Amino acid sequence: MLQPSKQAVIDIFHDDSSFAAQVIAEVRRLRLARKIRQRKLATWSAADHPPHPTLLVTVDATGVLTPALACAEQLLIVPEPLSIRELSRWPGEVIEWPLHPTHLSRRIQRVCNAFNTAGQLRAVRESLFWHNRRVDREYELIEHIFRNALSRNYLDYPHIRTLLAPAAKFNGDLCLVTPGPQGGLYVMMADFTGHGLAPATGALPLSQAFFAMADRGVSIAEMVTEFNYRLHRLLPNDMFCACFILELSASGERLSYWNGGMPPALVYDAEGTIRHRLKAQHMALGVLSPDDFDAQLVTIRTERSDFVALYTDGVIELLSQQHEFLGAETFERYLADYPSLSDFDRLVAKLESFRGNQPLHDDLSLAVLQCLPTELGAPDEEAEVHALPFSFESRLTVEDLQQLDVVSAVLSVLRRLPKLRSHRTTIYLLLAEAFNNALEHGLLGLDSRMKNDPEGFAYYYQLRAERLAALREGWIAIRVEYHPHEHYLKFNLAHSGEPYDLTELEQDNQIQRTYGRGVTLLQQLADNVQWHANGQSVEFGYYLNNGNSTAR
Amino acid sequence: MSVSRHLTSDGKELTISIHGKFDFGVVNDFRRAYSSLGDEKPRVYIDLRETEYLDSSALGMLLNMRKAINEHVESIHIINCRAEVRNILDISRFDKLFIID
Repeated sequence: MLQPSKQAVIDIFHDDSSFAAQVIAEVRRLRLARKIRQRKLATWSAADHPPHPTLLVTVDATGVLTPALACAEQLLIVPEPLSIRELSRWPGEVIEWPLHPTHLSRRIQRVCNAFNTAGQLRAVRESLFWHNRRVDREYELIEHIFRNALSRNYLDYPHIRTLLAPAAKFNGDLCLVTPGPQGGLYVMMADFTGHGLAPATGALPLSQAFFAMADRGVSIAEMVTEFNYRLHRLLPNDMFCACFILELSASGERLSYWNGGMPPALVYDAEGTIRHRLKAQHMALGVLSPDDFDAQLVTIRTERSDFVALYTDGVIELLSQQHEFLGAETFERYLADYPSLSDFDRLVAKLESFRGNQPLHDDLSLAVLQCLPTELGAPDEEAEVHALPFSFESRLTVEDLQQLDVVSAVLSVLRRLPKLRSHRTTIYLLLAEAFNNALEHGLLGLDSRMKNDPEGFAYYYQLRAERLAALREGWIAIRVEYHPHEHYLKFNLAHSGEPYDLTELEQDNQIQRTYGRGVTLLQQLADNVQWHANGQSVEFGYYLNNGNSTAR
Repeated sequence: MSVSRHLTSDGKELTISIHGKFDFGVVNDFRRAYSSLGDEKPRVYIDLRETEYLDSSALGMLLNMRKAINEHVESIHIINCRAEVRNILDISRFDKLFIID
């Protein structure tokens, strides 16, 4: 703190006595301040915080003495010594006149210094207070953003238990859980270097990318590649993110994982016997450039009685009261003692009792997942939207048949229908079977039985391409009707080619046969299938309101 | 590339993924994907995660693959099927021939 070379202003409150005049003259002579202001004692108040170092000069101090002095850095100058009782009512500085000028000068300078220092201290305290309030406000905002960013984190998934204990207000660890569209489960545990707000910042883009990609059902190899690309660009060189990510299949029997710089996740059975240690095979995210990054996954088989424990190094580096690390061995012993999900609270209590009163030195995260069938259905259908009834008809010429991907084109016309999304694969299949039958058997005269062996199978499709290219005449007509009230699609396909015998095509129905499946599929997946004119025309329907097609 | 394959470095797992449309358009790519299996009798995974559409020719191709490699592999799994794809495989009783997961 800066000390001014000379005090700018000193205020002197006095009682107009000759004693006061004498003191003021002496003080002026000492030239302790650039300016000395004189004030009437009556205008002084003990409750005020004076703007400048202040001297009080009076013959009779009784009027100014009070224990409730707002600023103790004030100097009272009196001609007679104060009694003990009087002194006890004056928390400020006091001197009895006369005093040798050297002592007087020192005492006044000391009071000035004390006054200035107290003022600076007060200013610092106020700015600190203001700053704290601002930080609190900003933390609130950031917490709000985090809550929203993680609002869809599925930590309530019934077969997982988690412990997330940040060492500071914000967690540099991240534990994300979300279902995938195929009914599987994605779980990610990540640990940014350091703890507090800075690492937590990295959690935002990571979690957003995680949820968006999980919705699309992409593989975790693709996820980590994207995460690494993003973090490599975003993070400073000395910051990176250890990450363990896994996908459990809907059956709970297959677990794929990628471990970059995290402690080995443990797979153990109901007895707590460790079956696998899923060790890190990779560097943490954000370290390697996209060219050097390795997204190689490992897949293991799991059983419904298996558990997977994921944890950050904060768990095994947990410090006890006696400053000992927990260590991997002890942690594994704890897991063996409390293997199941219902034991999780006791496992946490065990860790807590190990730590005792020792504060957390690092963020600590632990998740235990049981490899049960996930029972996660497909995501909910989009809200019901009513569509117009419509029909369309398309008569495809030889040129169209040679150039267009007809089935995809028809499907793209239907794509905007409500609820089509979860039926598109089935409708594609139905259209493809009906269309290929018309084209391959009706117009091109191909015989499915050719497909019975692998060579013939390839040859069949080679022949299909050759004959289609050489086709000179013929047409296929497609008609689609949509009945919105029944959510019913009605298809009709006709062709100009030779009639063909369906019964011959489908006479036996062995599951291993590589041909003749199309008609069976059509009959089982569509409604009201009817052939007319010896296979020259086929008609079938499909209800879009059948819930998920698996219900059929 | 709509058919991709990956054999793990220990040669014990071969994953073949089909992206987008699985039909006769990929017949040669698909055959090529299982043409070399190594000597480790790998476990084969057909990953249909990104298979949007398929038709009966895809079923034929899967059966041809099975005929060709069944003796030389540990097992054949069809994985990551969306509900609709799973339904089609079930109707075709593929669960009797493959491990569908």
